[in-house]
Amino acid sequence: MARIGVFVCHCGKNIGATVDCERVAGEAAKIPGVVHSENYLYMCSDPGQLKIKDAIRDKKLDGVVVAACSPHMHERTFRRAVAEAGLNPYLAEMSNVREHCSWVHQDIEDGTAKAIDLVRVMVEKVKLNQPLTPIRVPVTKRALVIGGGVAGIQAALDIANGERDVILLERDPSIGGHMSQLSETFPTLDCSQCILTPKMVEVASHPRITLLTYSELEEVDGYVGNFQVKIRKKARSVDMDVCTGCGVCMEKCPVKKIPSEFNVGLSMRPAIYTPFPQAVPNVPVIDKENCIYYIKGKCKVCEKFCGPGAIRFDQEDEIVTYDVGAIVVATGYSLYSVGEKPPGSTIAGYGEYGYGNIPDVIDALQFERLASASGPTEGHMRRPSDGAEPKTVAFIQCVGSRCPEKGITYCSKICCMYTVKHAMLYKHKVHDGDAYIFYMDIRSGGKNYEEFVRRAIEEDGVVYLRGRVSRLYRKDGKVIVRGADTLSGTQVEIAADMVVTANATLAQPDSQDVAQKIGIAYDKYGFFSEKHPKLAPVETNTAGVFLAGACQAPKDIPEAVAQASGAAAKVLEMFAVDELEREPTIAVVNEDTCVACFFCKRICPYSAVEEKEIKDRDGNLIKLVSHVNEGLCQGCGLCVVACPSKSIELLGFTDEQLFAEINALAE
Amino acid sequence: MTTADSQSSEQEQRREGAVGPEGWEPKIVAFVCNWCTYAGADLAGTSRLQYQPNVRIIKLPCTGRIDPVFIVRAYEGGADGVLVSGCHPGDCHYSSGNYHARRRFALFRKLMEFVGVDLDRLQFSWVSAAEGAKWVDVINDVTNRVRALGPFTEYQALSRWWKEVPDEQAIEQRA
Amino acid sequence: MSKGLQDIARELLEKGEVQVVVGWGAVKADPDRTRPILVTDPDEVGELVWNPRCVNNLAVYLTKAKSDVQALGKAAIVAKGCDVKAITGLIQEMQFSRDDLVIIGVACKGVVSDGSLWQGELTEENRDLKCRFCDVRTPRTYDHLVGEEVPPVDAEDDWKDVRELEEKTPRERWDYWQEQFERCIRCYACRQACPFCYCTRCIADKTLPRWIESGQHPRANLAWNIIRAMHLAGRCVECGECERVCPVGIPLNLLNRELAKEVAVEYGYRAGYDSEAPPPFATYREEDDQSFIR
Repeated sequence: MARIGVFVCHCGKNIGATVDCERVAGEAAKIPGVVHSENYLYMCSDPGQLKIKDAIRDKKLDGVVVAACSPHMHERTFRRAVAEAGLNPYLAEMSNVREHCSWVHQDIEDGTAKAIDLVRVMVEKVKLNQPLTPIRVPVTKRALVIGGGVAGIQAALDIANGERDVILLERDPSIGGHMSQLSETFPTLDCSQCILTPKMVEVASHPRITLLTYSELEEVDGYVGNFQVKIRKKARSVDMDVCTGCGVCMEKCPVKKIPSEFNVGLSMRPAIYTPFPQAVPNVPVIDKENCIYYIKGKCKVCEKFCGPGAIRFDQEDEIVTYDVGAIVVATGYSLYSVGEKPPGSTIAGYGEYGYGNIPDVIDALQFERLASASGPTEGHMRRPSDGAEPKTVAFIQCVGSRCPEKGITYCSKICCMYTVKHAMLYKHKVHDGDAYIFYMDIRSGGKNYEEFVRRAIEEDGVVYLRGRVSRLYRKDGKVIVRGADTLSGTQVEIAADMVVTANATLAQPDSQDVAQKIGIAYDKYGFFSEKHPKLAPVETNTAGVFLAGACQAPKDIPEAVAQASGAAAKVLEMFAVDELEREPTIAVVNEDTCVACFFCKRICPYSAVEEKEIKDRDGNLIKLVSHVNEGLCQGCGLCVVACPSKSIELLGFTDEQLFAEINALAE
Repeated sequence: MTTADSQSSEQEQRREGAVGPEGWEPKIVAFVCNWCTYAGADLAGTSRLQYQPNVRIIKLPCTGRIDPVFIVRAYEGGADGVLVSGCHPGDCHYSSGNYHARRRFALFRKLMEFVGVDLDRLQFSWVSAAEGAKWVDVINDVTNRVRALGPFTEYQALSRWWKEVPDEQAIEQRA
Repeated sequence: MSKGLQDIARELLEKGEVQVVVGWGAVKADPDRTRPILVTDPDEVGELVWNPRCVNNLAVYLTKAKSDVQALGKAAIVAKGCDVKAITGLIQEMQFSRDDLVIIGVACKGVVSDGSLWQGELTEENRDLKCRFCDVRTPRTYDHLVGEEVPPVDAEDDWKDVRELEEKTPRERWDYWQEQFERCIRCYACRQACPFCYCTRCIADKTLPRWIESGQHPRANLAWNIIRAMHLAGRCVECGECERVCPVGIPLNLLNRELAKEVAVEYGYRAGYDSEAPPPFATYREEDDQSFIR
């Protein structure tokens, strides 16, 4: 027989005014199994807690119900008190007779009747509570950071400077990401490379950081504190230990006409290349698809001229495995293009802008390269078609963004500011040029951002036209921009020498694959979902996986860096202890009755359900059953309901407990 | 699903308030998730909003944890109405629990409707942790609708049969 | 028809491609009936028959609930379109893989629930109710096909039977079902015949906690029938076996079809069509209907 104690709190007058606490305690005493019942002015006070502790000892209670405020308020308090008296803390429950009762009902009869019911429900539950022990999982104190852009770099450095090992994974030949492509940054006009390169070098030389470039994530297994990650190190065809980075191979390579990814097609690169001169590591890779040797079987010019003998045509991809305790995902973004989209795509291109076939219509990243001192024109404004200096430039904002017709409803957030910057940079370089910006709204929230916009308009004479551009077409060496100026209510036509489109920020095209490998959620655009939009913007729903940068949503550099530092702090917090403690309210499978239909596995939001083989002594498979990984389970109970044979229980919320609660309300 | 005739006669009945014995009060069981609706109900309390006292909350981690059998149990126990309430789409603490629950309950209520349960006795809401006022509206509305229907005599009659007739006799009687 | 089937079965057994053929056989004592048989010897394939009296859904013999059949080795199964849907569903639910099985599909113009109704000719009158809405008269997948392909039934309204009841008032529906469930004797024949009731321990037998009230009385009967239908939602292929075997004639398939209709209308999903599709109650779409949620 159960030995339950019921403790009814008056909370001063908060409960006592509309609930007859004495009567509640009196009624509770009549419930079978209740051996102790009392009421007190402030149950959460020290003397109140002492009453509970004393009763546990004196009456040998095996369950406690505190009828007081919301468990969200004081469940921890009372569970701690119960534990201090030697009872398992999970044998205590709260009836919420304040927020759900005394504060919302004025009639004392109603309030008291309801409070008695609420106590009865919890007494019946507690009778079935089992002692639970928090789950402890060990932590591997090494982190994986996926993506070597500024967010990944920042997260890796912060974790490494916190004296923990980091593996920084980048799929391109060099770290640096989009930020390394930028010319200057708003609103300070710092040179992007100047502020990023030192960080890149620090990453490469940090004793705590293992840098894996030209490498991709293959597989993630395990759970918080205990992930196993498989990484594919793609063959560079160059021995990283031998190469000195002299660059002779790149000069000698006979292939010269491959559009440079780094310069967004505005210049050409050889088949053996580093993406840019400041690449980290400064070791080239051979682009096998364009290398004559890999295509035709002969050439090997690079090998001939390589002084140290670093070329390795026979190098193969290598799979490496690491144990890590936490993962920071910082895979960044991609840029929308106005080009024609394949059939079936949810996102459309811009036929009205010539689908990207007008040479002097360039996108924002191309403009960054044009404006950059390290770019193809060494920072001189030269338009792509004929190399002439453009005297009239139109900038178009919200290309793709905020445009449901093109399939993107969200605001890309960074374009307003980088477009101002572009116009300003242009005016600084071409003093007699005209810069027009077509915009929908100017969104310049951020420290010194609005001031930056005002400066462009007032000091640099950038002209803003509020309206959309309906058409772009070539005429007599110009690009005709047809649009509306909604503020003056007129149609505008500008004969521009060059047009720069502020294209929408998209998730990486393969972000869904990455999310599925790691087991995190993503939205319909492929941006990764944070655990909570307000209070857990760095965490994901998968414990031990954190987000940094624009892979979560469009972000500018300071936001990406701030989130990266936030993610690093979360990782270091996790690594500060040797074992993680988890709520023990998790699902457990009854292997005898499980029929392996795996509805549970399909429905689990955390991929916590695994297939488990049950074998006999000789190793023969007897049957397959479900198994819940207690490191991954978050205790939602979806599997319990999905299970047709009712072979899963959620500890703390078992079917038996819930039936008892429902029955407690029966007549 | 109801024909125009039956609908209007039902409405008439409600208008006349021709329901329930003297002093009868509806009994309603609410299955709510811990993270949104339970907290929303807390907020109604901290805001000192007043609402009808007929609902008894049973807390679960997530609406996805609510098995339809719980609802059947509540009716069996004499509930006149049931409310299921959880997080708004996209807000689920467990990311997708409420989406799964939404499908399950979309179907379950169709089934209950098909076997003849008035759907005012089985209601659903999204109430976030910030929606104390919405919780109040939901509770008052659910209570009023169930009050208008009167006691769930059909279901309770099934139980009465069970209580009044001992098992063996019953079997004999029906044989 | 039976001859073609027998030839296929003989070859499969002789070549050792399968160890057992699950099919229908004649009942000597009652020529109006057929029964499920297991043929393991190629010389006995003459026992196999195929005609409109072959009403049983043999997919049930492939499940864990019939582990003795599984123990015989790789099976070939003779299956109508509706039976193949059940097989597809079982593959979807990971009960076995398609490679473990040879399907001898039979093209079917309908069956009769009572063999005596068929005396050589199928008519609108004697054809079983479930066949009047049949969407799979030629099985959707098979390794061998007996007979010529048959186009699906072109029913004016695939859900006519369900809608007829929907149009009644709530009270009428309540009374209708109470009258039906009242008769339930909790014999669980519906469960035994259902290919999807392969749980080795049914919830109806679950104690601690007792999941569904036992005993035969209106409250418990309602619970059992509601929960049984919910358990099959999105899974039931409307083969109608539950209804056929019900000794007291409860129209269980009508209940199943109500849910099948909702799943088809709301989620565009038909059970047993695609073993690769996620089951509708293990997935969701953000845009699912929520008009019923305030």
